[in-house]
Amino acid sequence: MKFYVCIKQVPDVNAPLHIKDGELIQDADRNILNAYDASAIEAALVLREKHGGEIEVVLIGTDKAKETIRKALAMGADSGIFIQADTDVQFDSFSYAKILSTFFADKEYNFILCGKQSQDTDAGLTGSMLAGLLDLPYVTNAVGLEMTGNSLIVKRQGDAGQELIELPSPGLVTCSNDMNDPRIPNLKGIMQSKRKPVETIPVNDLPTDSTAIKTKILGYEVKPAREAGKKFDGEPDEIARQVARLLDEAENVV
Amino acid sequence: MSTLLTYISVNNGKIKRSSLEVLSRCNELAQQHNLISAAIIIDKNASEIAEKLKAYGPSVIYIIENPVFNNHLNTPLLKALSLAIEKIKPKIVAFASTESTKDILGALAANRGAASLADVSEFELSGTGVKAKRPVMASKIISSVEANDSLVLLTVRSGSYDVSTQQADSNIEEIPFSFNDDELKITLKEIISASGDKIDLSEAETVIAAGRGVKDEEGRKLVEELASVLKAGIGASRALTEAGVYDPSLQIGQTGKVVSPQLYIGIGISGAIQHVSGMANSKVIVAINKDPDAPIFDIADYGIVGDLYKVLPPFIEELKKVKSEK
Amino acid sequence: MDEKFDCIIVGAGVAGLAAAMILARNNLKFLLIEKGDFPGSKNVSGGVLWGSDLAKLVPNYWDEDAGWDRFINHRRLTFMDNQSAFSVDFKSSHFNETPYTGVVVLRSKFDRWLAGKVQEAIDASEYAMDSFIAPNILVEEILMENGNAVGIRTGEDRFYSDSVIIAEGVNNLLTRQVGLQDTYVPADHILTGIKEIIRFDERVLEDRFQLNGRSGMSNEFVGFSTDGVEGGGFLYTNKNTISLGLVLGLKDLREKEKAPYDILNTFKQHPVISDMIRGGEVVEYSAHVVSSGDKRIIPKRLCKGGLLVCGEAANLLMNSGKAIQGMDYAMRSGILAAEAIVNAKKTSDFGEASMQRYQAALEDSYIMKDINNFQDAVHLLHDPVMTQKVPNLLCDFGRNFFSIKNEPTRKARQMLGESVKKYSSYWELMKVGVKGAKAL
Ligand SMILES: Cc1cc2nc3c(=O)[nH]c(=O)nc-3n(C[C@H](O)[C@H](O)[C@H](O)COP(=O)(O)OP(=O)(O)OC[C@H]3O[C@@H](n4cnc5c(N)ncnc54)[C@H](O)[C@@H]3O)c2cc1C
Ligand SMILES: Cc1cc2nc3c(=O)[nH]c(=O)nc-3n(C[C@H](O)[C@H](O)[C@H](O)COP(=O)(O)OP(=O)(O)OC[C@H]3O[C@@H](n4cnc5c(N)ncnc54)[C@H](O)[C@@H]3O)c2cc1C
Ligand SMILES: Nc1ncnc2c1ncn2[C@@H]1O[C@H](COP(=O)(O)O)[C@@H](O)[C@H]1O
Repeated sequence: MKFYVCIKQVPDVNAPLHIKDGELIQDADRNILNAYDASAIEAALVLREKHGGEIEVVLIGTDKAKETIRKALAMGADSGIFIQADTDVQFDSFSYAKILSTFFADKEYNFILCGKQSQDTDAGLTGSMLAGLLDLPYVTNAVGLEMTGNSLIVKRQGDAGQELIELPSPGLVTCSNDMNDPRIPNLKGIMQSKRKPVETIPVNDLPTDSTAIKTKILGYEVKPAREAGKKFDGEPDEIARQVARLLDEAENVV
Repeated sequence: MSTLLTYISVNNGKIKRSSLEVLSRCNELAQQHNLISAAIIIDKNASEIAEKLKAYGPSVIYIIENPVFNNHLNTPLLKALSLAIEKIKPKIVAFASTESTKDILGALAANRGAASLADVSEFELSGTGVKAKRPVMASKIISSVEANDSLVLLTVRSGSYDVSTQQADSNIEEIPFSFNDDELKITLKEIISASGDKIDLSEAETVIAAGRGVKDEEGRKLVEELASVLKAGIGASRALTEAGVYDPSLQIGQTGKVVSPQLYIGIGISGAIQHVSGMANSKVIVAINKDPDAPIFDIADYGIVGDLYKVLPPFIEELKKVKSEK
Repeated sequence: MDEKFDCIIVGAGVAGLAAAMILARNNLKFLLIEKGDFPGSKNVSGGVLWGSDLAKLVPNYWDEDAGWDRFINHRRLTFMDNQSAFSVDFKSSHFNETPYTGVVVLRSKFDRWLAGKVQEAIDASEYAMDSFIAPNILVEEILMENGNAVGIRTGEDRFYSDSVIIAEGVNNLLTRQVGLQDTYVPADHILTGIKEIIRFDERVLEDRFQLNGRSGMSNEFVGFSTDGVEGGGFLYTNKNTISLGLVLGLKDLREKEKAPYDILNTFKQHPVISDMIRGGEVVEYSAHVVSSGDKRIIPKRLCKGGLLVCGEAANLLMNSGKAIQGMDYAMRSGILAAEAIVNAKKTSDFGEASMQRYQAALEDSYIMKDINNFQDAVHLLHDPVMTQKVPNLLCDFGRNFFSIKNEPTRKARQMLGESVKKYSSYWELMKVGVKGAKAL
């Protein structure tokens, strides 16, 4: 079995940030492996443990994103592909998917795993776009993966409940972080990761047309903060009743 | 005149309110820009549903009716939508954001070479495309985005617009569609936990959300009792869906559902940004937490500092009284 | 790959990173282990890195717009009562020249940046493939054999090395484990530091604190700032935020039953402070233990065979009232520890005698000299006369001196006399004055 896992480096949403002249500025340069991708890697590792195979991670990003490939290798992936991008190009999900599809065009694999969405933008597009471009069968929002023969049995969180779907090889899955708890690399993993191969491909070596960027970010604005209301501290019986009354009389919502 | 096409999400034969919100917005834009607002229903009972939809004012209602749409499957849905887009040549296709529409948005955009915007909270037509706002960074901030393409696909967060009724003389037009089982690329084996007839969280007027503080059967009973008094939907934080205490479809937040009820009551929930990202647009937020520094109090209109096991019984009792007085 | 390391450093704070830089530059094979998600993720500090050692580790760091926030050219020491503030203020363009003598840093940013520099040094060294910075790993035990450190244990895994540098910071569990620090440290030797980061528009910050380009100011506070609890306050200007915080005696807090956060809130409501922070948005709050700078808790021995302790793990810190010096001590002691290891490697002798060179170098450095010379200042700072009466008296005097009324003005000397009588006595002050003169 050959698995590819598409991973992305994203800014840590927990780090303080602010907006200056419509631009998003992070107070600290804190970037992490997208949590959903960490779950995708974990899923692949578990499948490899049970059924054997090989895991290669693919990342498009600038040089500083390389450390995220190392993290994936330290978790246990076998090798990495670093698709090196310029700093000043603002890719959107479609252009990432385009670049990835050119990369995958001549590759052989059983499954491509993606994260269900990027933690910073919550777009959730790249995975199914990639499947569309490669004409692969796919399942999104996976919360469980099992292998039977050459197929994956994917548990998907859908609107009507959880669906069990059979996905033949080759296929693509986007993973939810509800699937598992990604392992934290141990010291041995960190040490091994340095010796694992990482191939660098400049993004311009993967020709894609310039029309691939279909959406543009015009700017950012602060979300009008919700004001903290009133805090009730005291005798539970009393404050509970007080709030219950207020919900009726002041808010009219019960 | 070009068309703004709204995809109507149907759940068990019922139109999802969130897609009516989207339709209402498209009606409004169509009027402003002198365009056609049309809707499309893709369901095994599409024609029946089309009749009900007339009350919401689309000029044309396209239907694609086929038993294959009994359950959500991305292959036939993609085929149907592609067909419809080819025929209707809309300027935009707007969807309510649900797991089913998010499932196909990217692939459809790729197949059609269209631009796509996911999970927007506002949108308008710009000269050549669509301008929209999207919450990003776990909804801490809003980004303004623009897509300039002849076709723009977008999904809209529930609760972003009000539903307006507007009886129209809608034309119903069926788009012929056939599907062979061997076209199915993936197969649905089983639907495990149908959250079937329970109150649909993303549409509920009142939502009670339980968190890690709800530790045991007794706590869950209290939550249920409160929900039944308020006729509320029950949701949960990831701490509890992950632990298997509540069905994963009830998770509220970045990974789960976005809710925007009139009243949200968070019980034993700390208020991590990933949870808040899914409920911050609720009209009134009540939080019950024993930790006075819990971040949820920063956004709660009414913060009750206390042990939920002590607070809930009198709270429920008082609400019962309030209800009975009505 | 399972072979031995020359050195394992525990903790990627200032001390550990400084040591790692020296080891990498000298082509040693080492592991730098940090329990946090990334270097700096767990570190709190008010933020002035004093002195110019940083320039030794990262030459021309000032050419980079990363890592550090501002250099200090403006210092202020403020005595406060509940309404007023009496300041000694010094600003000089003399401090504008590189190498700067103090830079403000935010630790989560600074440590991460410095770790990047260490990684560059590793990549350029002979052991590019064999030396590591390993985050997210907790060292649970120092492995000892015959009284010598031979490696570390994390979970089930053991890693071996000729030497270990403990740079674990103030919660020095490992230092206690190897028997260099008493297992019990009295509470009156420990302080707790709390800090808020408050954000402003950069222009507002520059105007309000008279900053120019990357220049910055540091302000220490004595008196009302701590609401009667021993300790002091600080304010440092970062790039577009300020760090505002307090350092408070743990024992005194406990005895007076006060919560640090409440004291900070009262401090923030002081008219002088509230004018400084108006319109700012609190973006981070953190709390951390900090050593008192009392020599009695500095371990007598800081080494064993193959083992060195540096930075705040060795309680190397000084809080003299005019500044907190912890990071510069950590940096210098990390450098000295690494130099001892480099030397030991040359002679292949990691025995206790060889490690003693570190202790000797430390005694010889400004760190131990200052700690020894300024013990009295440290104690003075904990004297209630100093923390309460003096600030009250100065503010009272200031109020009279600066009030201009339409009535005959008294001589300053007379006003001072009244203020002194109100809050203290000449005798008491004289004692403190003599102590202070001796101490500083
Ligand atoms: C990429 C990503 C996506 C995520 N998506 C989601 C998401 O969609 N939804 C989501 O919810 N989380 C999500 N999370 C997880 C999120 O970060 C939090 O871990 C989670 O929301 C915590 O749930 P909690 O508030 O129930 O638990 P905790 O944070 O453990 O809080 C429990 C609270 O209960 C209080 N409490 C305990 N006992 C009592 C009592 N007797 N009475 C009153 N109060 C009590 C405590 O004071 C505490 O504040 C995501 C995380 C990541 C990284
Ligand atoms: C509020 C406050 C304000 C301060 N202001 C100043 C100031 O203005 N100027 C100044 O010079 N100093 C200041 N200090 C003091 C200064 O922060 C410390 O003295 C300095 O950080 C000590 O550096 P260190 O490298 O020895 O330890 P630390 O910076 O504490 O680093 C120790 C590292 O070791 C890691 N670690 C610990 N145990 C383990 C383990 N078992 N395994 C793996 N990793 C481990 C920790 O996670 C940490 O990253 C202040 C302190 C506080 C609390
Ligand atoms: N730069 C990238 N490099 C590799 N994979 C990516 C990249 N960007 C997005 N992806 C994949 O697409 C998912 C997120 O899609 P989206 O939410 O559209 O950004 C991630 O979880 C990855 O699996």
